[in-house]
Amino acid sequence: MIRTMGRKRAIAAASMVAGLSLIVAGCSDSDETGDETSADPTTEATSSSGDSATGTATDRELVVWAGATTPINQTFNPYVPEVQHLALGGVYEPLFYYNKAGSGDPMPLLGESFEWNEDGTQLTITLREGVTWNDGEAFTADDVIYTFTEAPSAPGYITSAEATDDTTVVLTFDEPQYTNELSLLGLSWMVPEHVWTSLDEDPLTFPNLEPVGTGPYVITGISDANYTAEANPSYWGGEANVKNVRYIGVDNNQAAQDLLQTGQIDWVGMFIPEPQPILDAGLGYINTPQDPTVLYTCSNADLGCEGDQTDVAVRQALNLAIDRTAIKDKAFVGLTGTSSPTFALLGRDDKWISPDVEAESPQSPNVEEAQAILEEAGYTQGDDGFYGKDGDPIEMSLTSVDGWTDYNNAAQLIQEQAAEAGIKVTAATVSWNEFADGRTNGDFELIMGGVIGTSVPDPFQIYKDWFGGDSTTPAGTALEPGQWNFSRYDNDIVDEQIQVAASTVDEATKMDAYATIQEEITRDLPYIPIVINATQTFYNQTDYTGWPTEDDLYAFPPSWGAGAAGVVLHSLGGTE
Amino acid sequence: MRYVGRRLVIYAVTLWAAISLNFLLPRMLPGDPASIMIAKMSRNGDVTEAQLESIRRLFGNPDTSLWDQYLQYWQQLFKGDLGVSVSFYPTPVVELIGSALPWSIGLVGMATIISFTVGVGAGMFAGWKRGTWVDHIVPSTTLLQSLPYFWVAMVLIYFFAVQNQWFPIIGGYNVFMFGGPEWSWAFVGSVLYHAILPATTIVISSVGGWLLGMRNMMVSTMGEDYVTTAEAKGLKKRRIMTTYAARNAVLPSVAGFGVALGFVVGGFVVMETVFSYPGIGKLMITAVRGNDYALMQGVFLVITLTVLVAMFITDMIYGLIDPRARQNV
Repeated sequence: MIRTMGRKRAIAAASMVAGLSLIVAGCSDSDETGDETSADPTTEATSSSGDSATGTATDRELVVWAGATTPINQTFNPYVPEVQHLALGGVYEPLFYYNKAGSGDPMPLLGESFEWNEDGTQLTITLREGVTWNDGEAFTADDVIYTFTEAPSAPGYITSAEATDDTTVVLTFDEPQYTNELSLLGLSWMVPEHVWTSLDEDPLTFPNLEPVGTGPYVITGISDANYTAEANPSYWGGEANVKNVRYIGVDNNQAAQDLLQTGQIDWVGMFIPEPQPILDAGLGYINTPQDPTVLYTCSNADLGCEGDQTDVAVRQALNLAIDRTAIKDKAFVGLTGTSSPTFALLGRDDKWISPDVEAESPQSPNVEEAQAILEEAGYTQGDDGFYGKDGDPIEMSLTSVDGWTDYNNAAQLIQEQAAEAGIKVTAATVSWNEFADGRTNGDFELIMGGVIGTSVPDPFQIYKDWFGGDSTTPAGTALEPGQWNFSRYDNDIVDEQIQVAASTVDEATKMDAYATIQEEITRDLPYIPIVINATQTFYNQTDYTGWPTEDDLYAFPPSWGAGAAGVVLHSLGGTE
Repeated sequence: MRYVGRRLVIYAVTLWAAISLNFLLPRMLPGDPASIMIAKMSRNGDVTEAQLESIRRLFGNPDTSLWDQYLQYWQQLFKGDLGVSVSFYPTPVVELIGSALPWSIGLVGMATIISFTVGVGAGMFAGWKRGTWVDHIVPSTTLLQSLPYFWVAMVLIYFFAVQNQWFPIIGGYNVFMFGGPEWSWAFVGSVLYHAILPATTIVISSVGGWLLGMRNMMVSTMGEDYVTTAEAKGLKKRRIMTTYAARNAVLPSVAGFGVALGFVVGGFVVMETVFSYPGIGKLMITAVRGNDYALMQGVFLVITLTVLVAMFITDMIYGLIDPRARQNV
């Protein structure tokens, strides 16, 4: 670990502020009877709101289900994986909000602007002025430096963080870090140095039940079944119109659907195959497909993969044999989006798709072409109609997690569709544990699985994490945390272009690099794209207005999206 | 007294065996639960030394002998330390179970007792009135029993909570009103109100078994000579029905009651999930889904203990109502 002047300075500042906060704590103890969340009048929101809220102020409690099941894990610690949803975005805010659903610029939150230096080794961030923590303390550059250098999740690649003046923070890195822009600016939750440096307990297990953040909401209570929050009166963007919010725990989708239908929940992001009764009950609905569903293929015999799918011809033939329209309609009730073999999200990332490759995966099967590819690669059709080579028929097992019925059905359909083209695929279901073990250890042939869509309008993260040679291990060795290349794909050309794309912000250079990557991966197909999963959101449009819509997709709509909750809730208002 | 003493010894041995099995099972599972757990936790960040220590305490440090681990396990049990849950990290398992147990015992226990009382009472009546119209209720209740719990629950929710919004859909109390459990009449009322549908589910799906068993036993005891004698003596019908026929006919049902509590465990897992009811069954599902061995062991231990206690109590009652049980030991 490299320790530089900047880091030392930060430690010094940390200890100083820690001392200061003790004094402050001493003061606040004396007037404990006062309202804990009342704002210091001198620092009250001086900046005008960046995003304008609509509607009127309302006391009606907005009830949200963000996917939590009971008993609710009682923690608002942003460093615990099970942190409750509202903490991220509602209480703790990042510097900018990156809208996963749109292609616009990031929305300034605690930051006002940022600038990279030419080679991507320095990031200068201008902070918003006049922001206070909900305990009344001022939000300063030192808090930002603390978050980036000292806090438990501080990224190791920052070599120094310095405040050049009260509202400017400069982060310095050894290598170009353009690709970490999202994680630095959009997913680093700013925490108050004065609270976190004076903790008596391990910051990783600290339940943090009264979180001190800058966000639009202040937590008022939590139990096994729910937690509540009220609008932060001193929020820098102006007090939210929706004054009271309650998050509840629900154990199954059917119950959540019933609660929606009877008007007891106001905001949910969940999959409902038959949304019509919900829409009839007057709820608003938006579907924003994001994450690709694919066939993972253990593609690389050099890294120890076994099975017929290691032959690229078999993967290409299978890709052509699949009837994606039928799968979309029969297995996913027509709610999914169209996938692209380039793994760019169609509609959002169109500009990154090279003109030399097909933008969409084939939507209807092409048996002749599939068979032509197999025959060219030396396979012959046997008496039973299935292709094979030298008397050894192609046979692949396709697994999906038992109980994921849409995936189970899709796998079944693929088995039938592949058989039409003379490729023998056998669908089977496995437990989640087997699925997880199989894919991390490279012990599989084909798996119905998901790829995590990128949170910014740029497919880079998928290329790096899912196709990069650095992100995989030989079959038989488990992938490390953060590695996602289950297919064991390892292509020097792709790796080289990933490096090129990582070290530039020049769009033309990036596009060239992507074009090369896309040419490689659309030919090699280590993941065979099927559809883009539906992401459904249902909301109460009778009592509240200002929800993200198709026309104004200002934030990622589902209630579970980290960070989006704060932006959406703050934009809402009552209809009366 | 001798009867109680002997029973106590038998239960002590059973308890020891159950706890030892609970200790052994995770250690005999294929694969190494400790390393699965460490792998799972390290995916969420670095595993601290304290966490490793607690995992080692839970599954035993592979460096120490099984016997040492066993002794350590008992020591922890006596201290009331069941380890730390991974799914609800860093909450101790004892705390999780402590907040879930009252709900399960309250709801499932009460519902089972209601179901038993109603079933046995109605069975006694049906047996007494054998050969009349009353016999027709027997097949219908048996049919109800053959319906799966979760299906009954969902039908009840559909009709009484969605179509007609008379009852709540989820929760052990009004989660839209109360922040958490509190001591107030309003809260107690809310708990009772929220218990109606889940309890009805349990009663509907279990009452038929008690009714059928009791009725059939009643019919066979009614054919016994002592019942004929009692009738010949000119005793009141009511006295013959309760003290002569029913007291003897109920014995198998009482014996089955303890066992039934064991089966109920399987049922309430589903019921609690459908109603999002806070309880042990839900913890069990969460534990199994998340490979949370500490929580799983804790829950199984509590379930074993509950069943043992229930069986002990039924044994005592059995001894009271059946003098033969007391004498033949």
